[in-house]
Amino acid sequence: MTAVDYADAGEAIDFTSLTAMANRAPDVTSSVNYERILNARSESHNWLTYYGAYDGQRYSLLDQINSDNVGKMGPVWMFQAGAHGLIAGAGTYAFEATPIVVDGMMYVTGWDGQLWALDAKNGNLLWRYKHAVPFDVSLCCGNVNRGCAVANGKVYMVTPNAHLLALDATDGKTVWSKTSGDVRAGESATMAPLVVKDTLITGSSGGEFGSRGHLDCWDLETGEHRWRSYTVPKPGEPGSETWPADGEAWARGGANPWITGTYDPETNLYYAGTGNPAPDFDGEVREGDNLFTDSVVAVDVDSGEIRWHYQFTPHDLWDYDSVMENILFERDGKKLLGHFDKNGYFFVLDRINGELQHVTPFVDRIDWGTITRDGKVTPRRYPDKEGEPVHFFPGPAGAKEWTHAAYNQQTEMFYVPVADLGATATRRRREFKEGQPYWGAAVAVDLDDMAGSISAFDTHGEEKWRWRNDYPMASSVCTTAGNLVFAGAPTGEFLGLDARTGEELFRFQCGSGHHGSPMTYSVDGKQYVAVPVGWGGWLEGIIPGLLSAGHGDALIAFALPD
Amino acid sequence: MTTAQDRSDLVSSLGLDAQNKATIGAVLNTGSIGTATERADGTMEATITIREDTIAWDPAILVMPHGGDLELTVVNDDTNTHSALFPSNGDKKFLWLLNHSKGRARLNLDGPGYYWYSSPHGNDEGRGLTAAIVVQGEVPPEARLDRPDQPRP
Repeated sequence: MTAVDYADAGEAIDFTSLTAMANRAPDVTSSVNYERILNARSESHNWLTYYGAYDGQRYSLLDQINSDNVGKMGPVWMFQAGAHGLIAGAGTYAFEATPIVVDGMMYVTGWDGQLWALDAKNGNLLWRYKHAVPFDVSLCCGNVNRGCAVANGKVYMVTPNAHLLALDATDGKTVWSKTSGDVRAGESATMAPLVVKDTLITGSSGGEFGSRGHLDCWDLETGEHRWRSYTVPKPGEPGSETWPADGEAWARGGANPWITGTYDPETNLYYAGTGNPAPDFDGEVREGDNLFTDSVVAVDVDSGEIRWHYQFTPHDLWDYDSVMENILFERDGKKLLGHFDKNGYFFVLDRINGELQHVTPFVDRIDWGTITRDGKVTPRRYPDKEGEPVHFFPGPAGAKEWTHAAYNQQTEMFYVPVADLGATATRRRREFKEGQPYWGAAVAVDLDDMAGSISAFDTHGEEKWRWRNDYPMASSVCTTAGNLVFAGAPTGEFLGLDARTGEELFRFQCGSGHHGSPMTYSVDGKQYVAVPVGWGGWLEGIIPGLLSAGHGDALIAFALPD
Repeated sequence: MTTAQDRSDLVSSLGLDAQNKATIGAVLNTGSIGTATERADGTMEATITIREDTIAWDPAILVMPHGGDLELTVVNDDTNTHSALFPSNGDKKFLWLLNHSKGRARLNLDGPGYYWYSSPHGNDEGRGLTAAIVVQGEVPPEARLDRPDQPRP
């Protein structure tokens, strides 16, 4: 045969053209700007930004669904993504996002560079975006994404291969794309960008590969890079005295701020939690406190300069990232910040200057060390000698993983997903090589003897109630003015608790474990509660006893009957 | 230790790279390796082919010298219908490949690493119609970490 005999197969088409999607969505985000996001809680029918508001409280004023009627709530729609072909980290993907809702439209990200635009009223898919993600990209610790941002007619997301994308919110087409990190250095990206003024702020992932953590600021319209702020100082910079003077430990020091920060427009500060030092468990190669690892850094949003910091676990030897949220709240007229750390302690700081107010434990078993109420840290159990196993509580996934706590302005209580299990680490030194995991230990998290809870604390750290679970809790919490707390269990149950007492008022088996972030919104006067369901992530660290549980990939919306 | 030629011979003699020999299908990526060529405007191009009764992509590994746009000519020389689903930024690209047909695909892959594509049809993917596109190179200088060059494995 000759070439002319071939049938013409034409040109490859967009895969989405073989769906029922309209590939078009209403333009609801053009009017979303900094002013609206500043006042996001006042339009609680929407969920305009990652935490619902800049303060990170995950608290909604909606109360149509409340403690009196939540027992009648049921599922009203479900979205399932499915999969095509081989993906990076197929054993680790999880649905960890917080959906964003704007005036009846929902934007939600998933694993492997995916974003879906849904009709928030019925779950119909209107458009989708899929980034091409290398199969061999370095991921620690799963193929996950935690959410997007919206403003000025665009949706913003990061990808596992460290790109920041601006998409047209009406059709998902790429407006611009920027490379935010170096995949050959083990960097990736997983967090939801945060819109601040006319910029976006992102943070890097990759602390388990010995990268050097950084925050980046980008022009909202053009993607032009405004500033980069490293969370490990170079020699000579402030904080560099906490690293060995010789060698390059600082250059591989970690401290990746891989979760979205909170923001106070009055202080003009972005409060970012930073990750563990690298190598995680071998402290001998990085003598010193290792700033700014395991810290909150308060960053001037205009310059990227770190104005103050507070380190929760100096010279970490347990993989106690502090990336999880720093919740902004007021008490007695004082501007404060509350942080539940992997190390098992609840810290309250003055958010103007970082001054410690008090420290209290929030989990039953802590034996890695102690922190006094005034912040004095005394390590007690840690991998010290080569080849010698050391068991400690909490394990490296922490007494609370990245999944978020919530603060209810009515009850003035924090609600915390608590994990109570330990681990054994055996120091095993290795040379640093770019792109290779750099832990410095063999680590085995306990398979049994575990517990979990949703625990409620007042702002002084006093426990008010506890909803107990046989497994550690690994999903974020959301609270509402309807006196409710919503959370998901690793075994699939979606729960509604009374915010005042912890009494269980609602339970629905979603078919897969929860490792994401529920939220609430309303459309045409009807309140919905939405939860992404898809078990996965760093399960060998979080709950290895549930490593083989089904992954799932559903987004489920609940409401009261009409 | 085997040389590259030894490995190729061994794969063939063990029946790993063909249909219904040792394995039922062809073990993925046991076929040939090809490289894309680059035009003056930076666009890369290559041809991939399904040869008769192989149920495998030739080349099994296609190498791009850097990230960017790739134009593929896709040939089905088989006497069965297959298809192709390619990775590309924004959306995957799909092509029906009727018996003895030829088509085109324009892809954008923006960074280092490798990407799978396949024929999502029956178990074409398991029989051997899953292949890799490798993107060589580094990320842009502005995206690299400010630190001295570090050792690599």
